[in-house]
Amino acid sequence: MKDQNLLQLAEELVGFGKKNGASQVEVSINQGTNFSVDILQGEIEKLTEAVSKGLGLRIFVEGKVARASSSDFSKDTLQKLVTNAILRAKLSSADPLAGLPEKEPLTVDVTALKIYDPAILEMAPEKKIRAAKKTEAICLADHRVKKTFGSTFSTYIGERYLSNSNGFSGSFKRTSCSCGVSLQAGEESNLFDEGWYDSSVNLEGLESAETIAKKAIHRVTRLIGGKKVESQNVPVVFEPPMTAEILGFFSTCVGGNNVYLKQSFLAGKIGEKIGNELVTIIDDGLKAGAPGTEPFDGEGVPLRRTVVMENGILRNYLLDTYAARKLSMKSTGNSGGPNNLYLSAGSSTPEQIIKSVDKGLFLTGTIGFGQVPTTGDISRGAFGIWIEKGELTYPVAEITISGNLAQLLQGIQMVGNDLQFKDSITGPTIKVAEMTVGGK
Amino acid sequence: MVDNRRRDFLRKSSVGLVATLTSGLWFDMLAKGIVPPHSTTFFEERFGVSREDMKKILETALSKGGEFSELFFEYRINNSVQMEEDLIKDSSENITLGVGIRVLKGAQTGYGYTDDLSFEKMKQTALTAAAIAAGNSKVSIADLTQKTSGLKVYDLNLPMNEVKLDSKVDLVKQAYMAAQAYDKRITKVQASLVDELQYVTIVNSEGLFIADARPQMRMFVSSTAEENNIRNTGFKSAGGRVGLNFFITTETPQSIGKKASEEAITLLAAVNPVAGEQPVVLGSRQSGVMIHEAVGHSLEADGNRKKTSIMWDKFGTQVANPIVTIYDDPTIPFYRGSYNVDDEGTIPQKKMLIENGKLVGYLQDRLSAKLMNMEPDGHGRRQTYKNNPIPRMANTVLAPGNASVEEIIRSVKKGFYAETYQGGQVSDSGKFTFSVNMGYLIEDGKITRPVKNATLIGTNVQILNEIELIAHDTAFFLGTCGKDGQSAAVTAGTPTLKLRQMTVGGRK
Ligand SMILES: [Zn+2]
Repeated sequence: MKDQNLLQLAEELVGFGKKNGASQVEVSINQGTNFSVDILQGEIEKLTEAVSKGLGLRIFVEGKVARASSSDFSKDTLQKLVTNAILRAKLSSADPLAGLPEKEPLTVDVTALKIYDPAILEMAPEKKIRAAKKTEAICLADHRVKKTFGSTFSTYIGERYLSNSNGFSGSFKRTSCSCGVSLQAGEESNLFDEGWYDSSVNLEGLESAETIAKKAIHRVTRLIGGKKVESQNVPVVFEPPMTAEILGFFSTCVGGNNVYLKQSFLAGKIGEKIGNELVTIIDDGLKAGAPGTEPFDGEGVPLRRTVVMENGILRNYLLDTYAARKLSMKSTGNSGGPNNLYLSAGSSTPEQIIKSVDKGLFLTGTIGFGQVPTTGDISRGAFGIWIEKGELTYPVAEITISGNLAQLLQGIQMVGNDLQFKDSITGPTIKVAEMTVGGK
Repeated sequence: MVDNRRRDFLRKSSVGLVATLTSGLWFDMLAKGIVPPHSTTFFEERFGVSREDMKKILETALSKGGEFSELFFEYRINNSVQMEEDLIKDSSENITLGVGIRVLKGAQTGYGYTDDLSFEKMKQTALTAAAIAAGNSKVSIADLTQKTSGLKVYDLNLPMNEVKLDSKVDLVKQAYMAAQAYDKRITKVQASLVDELQYVTIVNSEGLFIADARPQMRMFVSSTAEENNIRNTGFKSAGGRVGLNFFITTETPQSIGKKASEEAITLLAAVNPVAGEQPVVLGSRQSGVMIHEAVGHSLEADGNRKKTSIMWDKFGTQVANPIVTIYDDPTIPFYRGSYNVDDEGTIPQKKMLIENGKLVGYLQDRLSAKLMNMEPDGHGRRQTYKNNPIPRMANTVLAPGNASVEEIIRSVKKGFYAETYQGGQVSDSGKFTFSVNMGYLIEDGKITRPVKNATLIGTNVQILNEIELIAHDTAFFLGTCGKDGQSAAVTAGTPTLKLRQMTVGGRK
């Protein structure tokens, strides 16, 4: 990718907007190269490669906002978008809190963040194809695997540029790669889909084809024969991806917009004890080599480390500039949502956690959308392994799991030591005192 | 889908570029009819891409031995207006421009795309897509012949792109105020209006040359009610392939706002469901989502061709109670899921899927149809030029039956009635889950207390056989379907129906 002076283009448009009547202007540009290969039954099913770009802009006219975006970069189009936005902004309502962030110095050393790996740029397509083929082949060789939905290897190399009329001007590059496979196992109509994907900012951090395949096989075959259990209230052990899923819901509930609109049960709860003492939740946008790490957010606010919950006490929300002003707080650099949000590791091993359960559910997968931020209520389809007398016994399926996020956070009794930073939202194994399992 | 929990960099860094809507200021040239809406010359007149250039690019795409090449040109203008906290807080105008180039060889796809319509960039992209094959060119390109669809499924009388922004602001305010005025306990309202006009031109190596200009409009209101520290949210959306007329002939903004608030207020009195297996009545209002998830996805041709759908070996067999007939129809005038031409240039048809309980069809795109020796039926769709087309639903319908709604409710001694949904999800193995936003208890043949936080779970094979009674009060759910990372505008319709037994999840 050659430097196309995209930062200069962003700066010019900011100037154009100011000249044409905007009080404030922000322009961001993304450009990136995507590569992905899908393998099915040992053959390439789809090969995609493309360079693409997009421009986003925000215009303020005396506290009135308008936005626009385009993948058409012709000068005429972009200038027309700016003048249109200025006209549209005038039809909005004035909001004294709307506007660009105050200028904050960017002190971070981008190279120290380790979010760009040139090895991804240099990796030959043949190598990517081989890795995907190998991942699928290992799975196909396992007789318990009934079918494969195929494997994928993809890479992304991108640049981001941001300029605003408060004097911010910045850019950075980043990379990512991922490899994964989806499988089906089971008998007759009692079939299960599962798989494993790994992603990484750098090539070195990506799990090998063998590891990914092994995990995918384990995840799907352990569900074979899954059946319903009686409806009951039991302790639930969350496998790390399930902890991450709950944290994803938590991030919606501490998201600035939902908080100031009082569409979250956590609105107005700063300083209150919401969770168990074992629960500390942090968003760290500067963690080196982590998937959500970047020098600045979509508004040019430097990313930082924010303690959201400390030993069960709610300390902060995830805020962009506007939500922060609405709540008389400070932006946390979360205009793009959570950066690297994680539940801090505890001291128990996953085995110790399972051992501690007399009768309960080891939750390995969910399906559905049943999460309500206003109330914290959760109700979803679930899969997992039944725990009896501290041992994993038989697989369970077609059950529902329900509870409430407030009660769930209070009910976290054990926290595992198996925290990894593979996803931008992540957590270790946890044990929750009680949830409702809906079955027979 | 299996692993949507994985978030990636792309999604994160594209925040701010995903918004939506138009001002009427933009495409005056189109609005005034200078470029006719279905014109195949759109990309030539506006972006200088001539028919000869298209032919050359198609040729380049086949230069390494591909069997079929195709160009999908897209220009989309999307506008939105949003109101919350009594303020018009935001408006946006978004432009999508690009071309997707596809090369097929057997079951293999090479795909490339670019937002730069210069001949050189398109040629380079074509070469990338060509690389799916390795060899010499074998196919020659047929002359591009213009084709038109006889269908007219859009209401182009008063297109939203001609409506001035202040009028759109008024519509949003009307919905917002009606929602707010509905009850004192309504504490928050959000209202938005999104409209879109998508121009596509599709050409391929078989000589196809076809264009479409598709309007889409949707008004959405969410209302939050609060009482005694209990908060609940109700939703309502309405729209379709329509223009301003919709608000006069079909549903007023006031009615949309009122319905959102009505749901929020009803939920204040809601109890949690009784967990366990029980008879379930699916109300007609939104239960189409169940037909979409539980049945529709499993009948998309790609999953059946690859034998990953649970239905792949059931063609021609009885898969449901004989009272069940299900079809998909992209040609219903003005519906959200309708289109004159699909994203591969095929003119769509109503497609019977299950007839009197028997599996009689799959939803096809070109690739699956060819590999399965069946006919394409116009269900090849894609989210944007960045995506390759795949078989998708449009408007999926469960045909009416003979029962009455009263008779259905009366037949249930103790059970659950599902009215509105937050959404549903299905895995390839046929296991699905629906999150019910609002439902009711059925006790002694009567609908009694409202219920929240319920989840319905089952498998598609099982559910098709559990359908016991079907009424004839068909209604449609407006949705956005996600598959393989691509979203598509759809609707799904059903009359009220009774399932003998289904698992309901909830708190004990
Ligand atoms: Zn769907």
